[in-house]
Amino acid sequence: MRRVAVVGAGMTAFGEHFGLGIKDLLPMAVSEMAGHVDKGLDRADIQAVWFGELSTTDGFPSGVLADSCGLLDVPVTRVENACATGNDAVRNATYAVGSGAVDVALVVGADKVRESSARATFWEWAQMTRDMAWDYPLGLIAPANFALHVARYLHESPATREHLAMVAVKNHRHGVANPKAHLRFEITVEQALNAPRVVEPFGLYDCTPQSDGAAALLLVAGDVVDRYTDRPVWVRGVGLGLDRVMHQHKRDMTTFPPTVKASKAAYAMAGIGPADIDVAEVHDCFTGVELISYEDLGFTERFGAYKLIENGVTAVGGARPVNPSGGLKAKGHPPGATGVAQCVEIVEQLRGEAANQVDGARIGLAHNIGGPTAVSAVTVLSSQRG
Amino acid sequence: MTTIGAVGTYLPPWGTERARSAGPDEDAVTLGVAAARAAIHRSGPDTVRRVVFVTRDLPLLEGGNGAALLAGIGLEARVPVVEQVGGAPAALDAVVDAGPGTLVVAVDLAPAGAGAVLLGDPTGHAGPEVAPAGRVVRSMPVRVRAADGIVRDYDDPRLQRERGLGVAVERLGLPAKPAVVAGLPARQAAALCAGRAPILPTTGASATVFAIAALAEVGSPALVLAVEQGSATAVTVAGVPAVRRDERSPTPLPAVTANPGPEIAISLAAYERAFEPKLRWEAGRCDACGALAFPPRYRCLQCGSEAGWSLTPLPRRGEVYTVTTVHVPVPGLPTPYSLAIVELDGVDVRALVKVTGVPAGTAGIGNRGSLVLRRVAVRSGIPDYGYALLPDPPVTGETAPAALAALAEGALR
Repeated sequence: MRRVAVVGAGMTAFGEHFGLGIKDLLPMAVSEMAGHVDKGLDRADIQAVWFGELSTTDGFPSGVLADSCGLLDVPVTRVENACATGNDAVRNATYAVGSGAVDVALVVGADKVRESSARATFWEWAQMTRDMAWDYPLGLIAPANFALHVARYLHESPATREHLAMVAVKNHRHGVANPKAHLRFEITVEQALNAPRVVEPFGLYDCTPQSDGAAALLLVAGDVVDRYTDRPVWVRGVGLGLDRVMHQHKRDMTTFPPTVKASKAAYAMAGIGPADIDVAEVHDCFTGVELISYEDLGFTERFGAYKLIENGVTAVGGARPVNPSGGLKAKGHPPGATGVAQCVEIVEQLRGEAANQVDGARIGLAHNIGGPTAVSAVTVLSSQRG
Repeated sequence: MTTIGAVGTYLPPWGTERARSAGPDEDAVTLGVAAARAAIHRSGPDTVRRVVFVTRDLPLLEGGNGAALLAGIGLEARVPVVEQVGGAPAALDAVVDAGPGTLVVAVDLAPAGAGAVLLGDPTGHAGPEVAPAGRVVRSMPVRVRAADGIVRDYDDPRLQRERGLGVAVERLGLPAKPAVVAGLPARQAAALCAGRAPILPTTGASATVFAIAALAEVGSPALVLAVEQGSATAVTVAGVPAVRRDERSPTPLPAVTANPGPEIAISLAAYERAFEPKLRWEAGRCDACGALAFPPRYRCLQCGSEAGWSLTPLPRRGEVYTVTTVHVPVPGLPTPYSLAIVELDGVDVRALVKVTGVPAGTAGIGNRGSLVLRRVAVRSGIPDYGYALLPDPPVTGETAPAALAALAEGALR
């Protein structure tokens, strides 16, 4: 496979964009990405688009993207892989460029979650992810899916609700400096622990907000990188993993096998191991999911995650910062955009441009889990060609 | 000659000793199923040839309740079901007129309770004979309810007592005072009875079954009277029937928040595909390797065979593997509610279910309980039945310290 590099990255701010539709957010993100290409981008160079969007707003996604961004003469493919959509769009575009089919590919991720009432989203998402006869009528709303895992995780591992709170505190602190973040305020462990209960063991501050937003990346073949930048970020590895869809069929709910599979594939492709990761954007839709993911990504041993958060290892300034952007927790979570925006953050980190810069970061990882816990996508990026 | 083979009763765990309340996930079908399962506990489903379902609170007037009732009780789909709107006299009529193998299921919602009587001689032991002693059907509609569901009360208790109940009992010309009366509040019933009248938990159709179940208290032979407005039926029961009660001590219904919202969608195609295993609590057993899949699925979880599967009953006991409680308002559902993944005893099967019968948030990992039929949701007006975990009652009395110590040990592990 040919080498693939990211030469442009951009995103809208994440937040409740009641005043902006999907047709506004998409061109905004694409234009910001184009403005970020060091040597400029002639849009006529774009040969194909992969568009990650979880839900459909204002029409069929590929058409909306082509129309709103003025890309009517290239193929656009919609990618939908639950909350792993963003990093899976990156994966698909990487294969297209790597295969030689195209030299320049655009990856866009977007979602307009706040187009529905805040509460209606529960049923809309449940309908997308749950068995209609068996699980859907139970009221297994998105946080409950993850809560079933984390409740068991807290039962088996030494981690406690305080450790969940520490994740929230860390990611909120990271989000303050990020101008694109949805929630830009600090919280304390006490606030997190005393917050209204949402779905046990999660309180309000354990949960991602519902955000709107879009993000874009330009992926090009190694052969043409020089046309666009002298500081490319290389796509070193991509991976996707799946699991049984129904929780009843998941043997061990203290781990997410999709993450293990996706990261193994991405590490193997990159020729690295988890110890080589300098900075990571991890899917912290709920605080406990970040802890479990430390273990599934290989950052620590089984049930060792609490030590990483307790000792500040995963805070900016620690040995392996996780979610310097604020993560889903503070930056926000428009599902289709989330994975693409994680890569935007990692690209900025590897180019030394990030709001919460991790010193000397050379290899970064982006991770999604979704479906709600049946699919994961992982992308490994590096400033080194490898 | 009609004999009473067995009696089963069910009272919801909610409300007070005087008046039980149906839980938000209970209706006449789930209440009736619980009582019916108690009644046929010993004899098994094969002894039932016909079901008569008597209630004034049929969940559906159109669309049918029979299939859910049969599936929940565990009867074959070929058993005929008579859905009868009626009160205490109607239930007693059904009992005295029924042939062997008839299961009379009588249910009330307020106060809530259900009873079931299996007629005939299912176990080979002679049950007590039941014989008619009189019947009068008159009109004194002091309370009416038409298809619109609106209840209208005439509100004249003396008229009801004298010209309704009074005339009805007089016309029966009973040889003696009854031993137990169904269909009236406790004090009024006691005034009509010969001796010390048993207090019955309900006043509608199911009160008839609770009256028969109470014969152990009053002795036999006994005259049983069932009344409703201007009508009455009396029977004599020659002995004391076998009774199995599914009656937990009551606790007040926990406060829940009703969350208005759009109707929860339903796919009737998916409903129909799931109906049998979902309401009968059955898994698919792989024809090739014998592995169980719940819900049943085309391709075996274990060996990958696509050759086929057959339904097999699942255990109705299990242990909580993980559990969560939803506090945030969910449109269309009362909150809070708990969801659990339960490991079923003796099989390699877990089920995702709601928790019922205890306040949300009180069931923990490792708790044991039973799987019981409940109305999981109402979707587009359609009752959606499935199973819920009814946790075992907490250990009380002298065993408590030991149990707590065991729990503490488990928590420290």
